[in-house]
Amino acid sequence: MTTTTVTTTVPTAARVVDAVKVYGTGDTSVRALDGVSVDFPVGRFTAIMGPSGSGKSTLMHCAAGLDTLTSGTAHIGDIELGSLDDRRLTLLRRDRVGFVFQAFNLVPTLTVAENITLPLDLAGGGGDREWIDALIDVVGLRDRLHHRPSELSGGQQQRVAVARAFAGRPDVVFADEPTGNLDSRSGEEVLGLLGRTVRQTSRTVVMVTHDPVAAAHADEVVFLADGRLVDRMESPTADKVLDRMKAFEVPS
Amino acid sequence: MNGMNASVRLSVSSLRAHKRRFAGTFLAVFLGVAFLAGTLVMGDTLRAGFDTMFGNATSGTDAVVRSADAITTPGESEGVREPVDTDLVSTIERAPGVAAAAPNIQGAGQLVGKNGDPVGGQGPPTLAGNWITDPKLNPYRLAEGRAPEKSGEVVVNRGTAERGDLRIGDTTTLRTPDPVRVTIVGLATFGGEDGMAQVTFTGMTQADAEKYLTARPGEAASIQVRAAPGTSQQELVDELTTVLPGGVEAITGQESAAENTDMISSQFLTLFTTFLLVFSGVALLVATFSIHNTFAIVVAQRTRENALLRALGASRRQVTASTLVEATAVAVTASVAGLAGGIGIAAGLQALFPAIGFPFPEGDLVLKTLSMTLPLAVGVVVCLGSALLPARRAGRTAPLAALRETAVDTSGASRARAVTGVGLIALAIGVTLSGVLLIPSLWLAGTGATLALAAFVVLGPVASTTAVRILGGPLDRLRGVTGGLARRNALRSPKRTAATASALMIGVAVVSLFTVFGASLKATMDQTVSRSFAGDVAVSTPSFGAGGSGLSPRLADAVQRLPEVDTAVGLGRGVAEVDGKGRALTVTDPVALERTFDLGTVHGSLADLGTHGIAITQKEADKQHLTTGDKARLTFTDGRTDTFTVRALYGQSELAGDYVITRDAWAPHRTQDADTLLAVSFKDGVNTDTGKAAVEKVAAQYGNPEVQTRDEYAQSSAGGIDMMLTLVYALLALAVLIALLGIANTLTLAVHERTRELGLLRAVGQTRPQLRAMVRWESVLVAAFGTVGGLALGSFLGWVLVKSSDGASDSAFAFALPPLQLLVVALVGVTAGALAGLRPARRAARLDVLRAIATE
Repeated sequence: MTTTTVTTTVPTAARVVDAVKVYGTGDTSVRALDGVSVDFPVGRFTAIMGPSGSGKSTLMHCAAGLDTLTSGTAHIGDIELGSLDDRRLTLLRRDRVGFVFQAFNLVPTLTVAENITLPLDLAGGGGDREWIDALIDVVGLRDRLHHRPSELSGGQQQRVAVARAFAGRPDVVFADEPTGNLDSRSGEEVLGLLGRTVRQTSRTVVMVTHDPVAAAHADEVVFLADGRLVDRMESPTADKVLDRMKAFEVPS
Repeated sequence: MNGMNASVRLSVSSLRAHKRRFAGTFLAVFLGVAFLAGTLVMGDTLRAGFDTMFGNATSGTDAVVRSADAITTPGESEGVREPVDTDLVSTIERAPGVAAAAPNIQGAGQLVGKNGDPVGGQGPPTLAGNWITDPKLNPYRLAEGRAPEKSGEVVVNRGTAERGDLRIGDTTTLRTPDPVRVTIVGLATFGGEDGMAQVTFTGMTQADAEKYLTARPGEAASIQVRAAPGTSQQELVDELTTVLPGGVEAITGQESAAENTDMISSQFLTLFTTFLLVFSGVALLVATFSIHNTFAIVVAQRTRENALLRALGASRRQVTASTLVEATAVAVTASVAGLAGGIGIAAGLQALFPAIGFPFPEGDLVLKTLSMTLPLAVGVVVCLGSALLPARRAGRTAPLAALRETAVDTSGASRARAVTGVGLIALAIGVTLSGVLLIPSLWLAGTGATLALAAFVVLGPVASTTAVRILGGPLDRLRGVTGGLARRNALRSPKRTAATASALMIGVAVVSLFTVFGASLKATMDQTVSRSFAGDVAVSTPSFGAGGSGLSPRLADAVQRLPEVDTAVGLGRGVAEVDGKGRALTVTDPVALERTFDLGTVHGSLADLGTHGIAITQKEADKQHLTTGDKARLTFTDGRTDTFTVRALYGQSELAGDYVITRDAWAPHRTQDADTLLAVSFKDGVNTDTGKAAVEKVAAQYGNPEVQTRDEYAQSSAGGIDMMLTLVYALLALAVLIALLGIANTLTLAVHERTRELGLLRAVGQTRPQLRAMVRWESVLVAAFGTVGGLALGSFLGWVLVKSSDGASDSAFAFALPPLQLLVVALVGVTAGALAGLRPARRAARLDVLRAIATE
């Protein structure tokens, strides 16, 4: 089976093919990913769901170039990540990928404005001023630009992180439990923001979550269990997702 | 009891888990203690070695007969003694209980080595004397060859021969200072060593020694006496005392050896060890800051852990104790290791010194109890003392802190601190200025200087914010976001930045203090030469301290006869008691002196001093309440007293000295004649180079002393200062090294603390080189802050030292800030900062992104 086939009709922002990730060796080895293949099409908001230990975070880390696969391939756009060294991977993350983590998303010494433009500043370029300006309005932080992260609420901090993730017009934004540390109202705000940005600006978002309410904001949910892709669900609702998740709890 | 055990268990497990954190502390204590212990052990070993050496060398001498009085001039520890008559030898030999007696004639004599350069002269004396034929009375033993028999034959101590590359059979020149052609017929040892430390010795026949080394034949420095079997040293001295004339005394051989050892101890060893101890003090002071900082950071990082312990029921005392137990463990291990290291240093030096031509007396290392316990105690006290405050803070951790997010430390720049600091600095400046300018007092100036140091330390956290902002200003523009992040990281915890920088600040302050003081000394010498030396060339022998033999007094006459020369004036040195106080005299031709030296305003006339006239500086005369026409009583080393009339008072004294008499006045009392300086001015129209060449040609016949133009002379006068500074810098490198270890340690801890932030930065696209640069720049900024503070403090202290020296001494002291050297110090400080950042930067860059962002 040869790679570099561009067969899909809808272009993919990121995908993994036959992804296997093994931690440790010998008896103590753990197979976190056991042959996962999944595409994340451009302009879609995809949620990855699964119980603890299902491999959803590992999948995200490998797809985003934060971790490497034991076998199989991961692509951002048409770039195969396995062939990149640390420097190229770093530059790829900086220029083509955005991140929103569960907590500790912001550099405490930088202001809100500086945090938003951090990847652009690291690249040494100015970025697209109008785009960033628009983003700031979308996330509603214009009056907080010169504040430090410690002066913001948790929800505000995550909104800054969202703005930072989209600031460089990345191919794909990976969000790892972005609402995990927030109360439900702030969480709702952040999720709405992610969904709006995808729909209004044709961006791609991949979000890892264990919260059915959060997953309901996505266009599609992929379910992972024991390192395998077990199901996909289009146009999810919180109830449908919850029902599907309950099925995991019953030993199959 | 059980509670304490829990503290100990916690400390042990914490130490084991965080070995790396304490590596810096360990090294700081280790280096300080090793240096201190090394100094003490080396001092004891040297002292014991010299004891043995003198004991061996003079074991055959049971009594020494010498003149009872010595004239001591200010600044000299050993006085000049009147010679004794060699005729006394026969009197002594007839005394009961005497087996043998021999005169010991001693003077200055410097050998010229095979390559034409004189041997020694840079500190220790260069001696010549008669070769005492009775081997038991002679402190030197013949090791090779034979004793001198004819005029012109000499025995040289082996160390000197080796340094001058001279062998038995070689013919060379001995400057007494008149050049004497000598042939080496034997090599000698002193007390089993190749020489008495760096002292050079040339033994000649008694006739030669009398001819070249004494002013009049029949004089000797002392007479060595050996007792007949059955007579004790004390009995011998008692017998001798009855036969000796007035003014002549006898002491036992043991007393004489002890005096010699004391002399070496006080002149050389004490100075040497004190000097080294001061530097280990500086190193340990710097270490205090580094250690304190490490513990403060560790405690801060462990806030949650400690809070959890408190929440689970640990008492304040237990939490404090567990930190202190940790500190004790580090202190004891590092101090013990440092002690071993110090003994190693001393052993290494013992092996190294002979290799560089400094005979280290043989014998085992002397390990005294004090030299063992003191460094240990100092190490433990310094380490524990530095950890005390952080440990107390650990104990005060509120149990609730476990639940709070670890806050960024913004303390430090408090108003109270700023007010205290400014108050302190105002007080420091006030006290110093009044100590320097108003009521010159070293005590006040010293207090002020100490206050200034304290003020700098207190103000550090306040100043660090502003300083880092200013110093790091250009970084944002030059290095973009990497530089900006570095600057802000340095600003994160003003207290920590300041404490880290303080260590370097103290090191740099001491370096700049010495740099400024050295430059000021040089400027002073330069000013002295340019102000008072009006001649064209100066002839002198490069020497330092007690070494060298000076210039032949006949050289002045020979140079004067040159057609190019207008005036050649030699300056000799004499010693006398003026109205009961030992004083150095300048023996010269006063008329020529006035022509070649600018003596300032002269009252009276230098022309008619004659044999009973004296000229004195205005300042000295004021002090002694003398004026022209007054009488002064001068007692010379030959015991005779004459009344002199003050004929002239002059203004400047730097090169000419405070008291001037004529050669004719000195002649009856003279000892071994030598000029210290020959100043030559040329006739109008004579080119300096031509004149210098002519003088050099003549000088070559008088032992080849150095002929220098005015500028060269001024520069070479300052040469000793550079040598001194080099040594000081080498010693201070240790303190700076400890300070840099402190910076590296703080950064490593900071990197550890910021793991998640660094992971985030890497995740969103900071490259490894960018991350390394960020950590390095932070290090550079902290170092730059410490360096700038150190330069300011050091320059200020240098000024205080110069000004208070100026007030305390007679000669005017110039103050100079050497911009180039200080710039070099600044560059070295900043570069060192970059070096200190290397390892933490590498560690930070190695960080696994995934683990960093996953860290709880």
